Amino acid sequence: MSELDETIKEFLVESLENLEQLDRELLALESDPTKIETINTIFRIVHTVKGTCGFFDFRKLEKVSHVGENLLDSLRSQKIAVTEVIITTLLRLSDTLRELLANIEESGCEGDGDYSELVGLLTSLNEQKITLTSEAISINSKSEGSVDESSVVLLKTQVSEEGQDDELQRMFYAAQSEWQNASSLEAPGAAAVPESSQIGAAENQAPSTVADGSESPKVSESKKSELSESSLRVDVNLLDKLMNLVGELVLARNQILQFTKSQNDGEFASTSQRLNLITSELQEGVMRTRMQPISTVWNKLPRIVRDIAHSCGKKVVLEMQGKETELDKTIIEAIKDPLTHVIRNSVDHGIESPEKRLAAGKGAEGVLVMRAFHEGGQVVIEISDDGAGLNTERIRAKALEKGLITSDKAASMGEAEVNRLIFLPGFSTAEQITNISGRGVGMDVVRSNIERIGGAVDVASNPGKGAKFTIKIPLTLAIIPALIVTTNNNRYAIPQVNLLELVRIEGAQLKQSIERIQGSDFYRLRGKILPLVYLDEQLGLSAANSTKSGGGILNLVVVRADNHQFGLVVDAIHDTEEIVVKPLGRLLKGISAFAGATIMGDGQVALILDIVGMARKAQIAKKEAAAKHEESRSNDEGKTSERKKMFVFELGTNKRAAVPLDQVYRLEEFPVQALESAGDHIVVQYRDGILPLVDLRGIYGEPPEISEGSLRAFVHLSGDRFVGFVVERILDIVEQCVNVERPYPKQGLVGSAVIQDKVTDLLDLSAILQLAELSPKHSFDAREAR
Amino acid sequence: MPKALIIDDSSTVRSIISKMLTSWGIASIQACNGQEALQKLSTECDIQLALVDWNMPIMNGLEFVKQVRQESSFKEMRIIMVTTETEMHQVVSALEAGVDEYIMKPFTEEIFKEKLNMVGVIG
Repeated sequence: MSELDETIKEFLVESLENLEQLDRELLALESDPTKIETINTIFRIVHTVKGTCGFFDFRKLEKVSHVGENLLDSLRSQKIAVTEVIITTLLRLSDTLRELLANIEESGCEGDGDYSELVGLLTSLNEQKITLTSEAISINSKSEGSVDESSVVLLKTQVSEEGQDDELQRMFYAAQSEWQNASSLEAPGAAAVPESSQIGAAENQAPSTVADGSESPKVSESKKSELSESSLRVDVNLLDKLMNLVGELVLARNQILQFTKSQNDGEFASTSQRLNLITSELQEGVMRTRMQPISTVWNKLPRIVRDIAHSCGKKVVLEMQGKETELDKTIIEAIKDPLTHVIRNSVDHGIESPEKRLAAGKGAEGVLVMRAFHEGGQVVIEISDDGAGLNTERIRAKALEKGLITSDKAASMGEAEVNRLIFLPGFSTAEQITNISGRGVGMDVVRSNIERIGGAVDVASNPGKGAKFTIKIPLTLAIIPALIVTTNNNRYAIPQVNLLELVRIEGAQLKQSIERIQGSDFYRLRGKILPLVYLDEQLGLSAANSTKSGGGILNLVVVRADNHQFGLVVDAIHDTEEIVVKPLGRLLKGISAFAGATIMGDGQVALILDIVGMARKAQIAKKEAAAKHEESRSNDEGKTSERKKMFVFELGTNKRAAVPLDQVYRLEEFPVQALESAGDHIVVQYRDGILPLVDLRGIYGEPPEISEGSLRAFVHLSGDRFVGFVVERILDIVEQCVNVERPYPKQGLVGSAVIQDKVTDLLDLSAILQLAELSPKHSFDAREAR
Repeated sequence: MPKALIIDDSSTVRSIISKMLTSWGIASIQACNGQEALQKLSTECDIQLALVDWNMPIMNGLEFVKQVRQESSFKEMRIIMVTTETEMHQVVSALEAGVDEYIMKPFTEEIFKEKLNMVGVIG
């Protein structure tokens, strides 16, 4: 019994492979309906299915394939011409065969589907009664179990005896009149049983069609058969098991390498080095066994494109480049649905109807190009169409209408940014819901599916010319590089693909740089607001907000999830490592924060963080929006509170002052000995010229006597002249919001503000220059100095 | 031990036949079309039996039989046509081309054994 099961399994694999070819060939036939080689190939595929399933008592399969075979035979002998209806019906046949095979695979039997309609359709497309007789033959031959040459004769007579003489007669004449060249004896047989017609054709009509082996489809088949000698079919489960074992080996290797470091044995070190190399090679080799060309997914697409194009009355040509690009099997499976969806979308929304295309000066046929290639350890898949491109304004309006963005934001977004909105959940611009892509499943599903496997998707549009979707995916998911971090003495791995940068904030900086907006913390990274997520808090390891008070050091891992960035706060950051991804146990599967687990070099388990899941859990998008909203609101309230870089200095005890940093040209220190005087001003020689100095300490009274040491000053460019401003001590450069107040008016002062928690005067340098009578006539010409 | 060549474009059929043969102590090699089978015959010696399907790509079974029978060195080789083709005239043309026996798919183990017996491969 088990041997039979195995044979059935082989049959299923073989037939499913054949059916995939069947779809391709049918589409080829549609584009060139006269090509006899294609019909021959199609015939043979269906014939093989029919011939083989007889061994297993799959009656429905046999019946359906049999009537299909008969129709194909008539096509082959050119009794009927290929029409679109026939192609569509044959595609349905292919689907039905696939369905039956799937049923067999699942339950071991064909299921209770009723295929009489398809059988009827196939029969009526052929000549009605011909199928009936040949069917009688096949059923009889099977029920008898044993057939040899004598029983064929018997069957023939049986058929005749069953009162079908008339049918045979009719068939006979019909065939004779249609096929003049064949002998009258052969004709009915040719119609009823496929093989004979080929022989008939070969002998009487068209010897070339059978004899030639030089035609391209045949060449490819011979290549395939050569390949079959040097390649083996291997059970996927076995490969998965091998992959797991290699994973274990990699872990054991890591442990040994770690152990080696603590030993002082040269021989041991070199042995483990060898082990290291061999393991790496083995890992690579086993990974390659799991690689499949992307064509395994792509081969299904021409059929899908055809069906969609037909149903929306469009004409689409699908071109594929880079079919041989290889990807890990699991990834191939994961991209199947997203790819199909993008394709659907492009045909349904992207490519216009033939009339519109002609009106726009394009060819009636839309062109859909798929391209796959390797780039930087990733696989890039591009799907571009030459359709209308994205309607950016409509996307903007739709996003506003659905409340996905604020009106301020809508106005400030660039075109590319707006186009990316189509990846947001709940976005769909189709005005009328078509049965193809308007099913509430949008591009957001594509994005989340791609991101789940560590990939990214983007769109670029050229209005009127077309759109291009770019999908980037990792080569493999089994072994990935990851950053190891610790929090609360637990180690976690963050996949490298999510990683952007690492930031360490210390001491005083800590307090200034963390802002609190609506109860959440943010860090300002180069002017951009970055939501902070405390890992321990997210994982429920410690009470909220506890990290912020302790330590005085903040380790930030800046990561990317969806289109958002956030800073993950951890206790410590370690190395990056190649980790072997292990699935989580059933009990942990539901936790969105973890993507899997791995075993570290020391044998301890570390959990792999799911950054996308964590972003969702921490509601990053919402926080970011809130912060941006807050920021824009406070910006609107008063221009005075803008963030500015300020140069802060001291002008005497407890006298802090500041000027905007952009007014400072250079910081200088002049020895007292270098001071000279010109007129009633103190000057120094500076860059081949004379630099007048203004002692800022003078604005609060008499400047202190200068006797020894050196003077600290900043050089300011006034018009095109340099002036040096002497200060007591240079303090800092800070970037923060400056709220200018005027507690008392004073000449040379813009006002005062709280900078770094201290009241600081903001100086008006041009007013001070006027006070010191140092407007242009006194300062030296900066142009000479340059 | 007798050795057979199984020629069929369906790997399922090849493996069904091969399993039956093995259980009767007959070793076998396989080819997926007539052309490949001719190549196999030119390199492998002592093949006493060929089981050939009719409808195959590149070179069909009938053509294979015709070519093999032209070579005197394969005169002793027994050839059985294993096919779904059931018309009398087809059986006749196969026999004319030089096959020794004709089995129709699907077949049972008993029929198959009997035919092998008839061509004298087992008995």
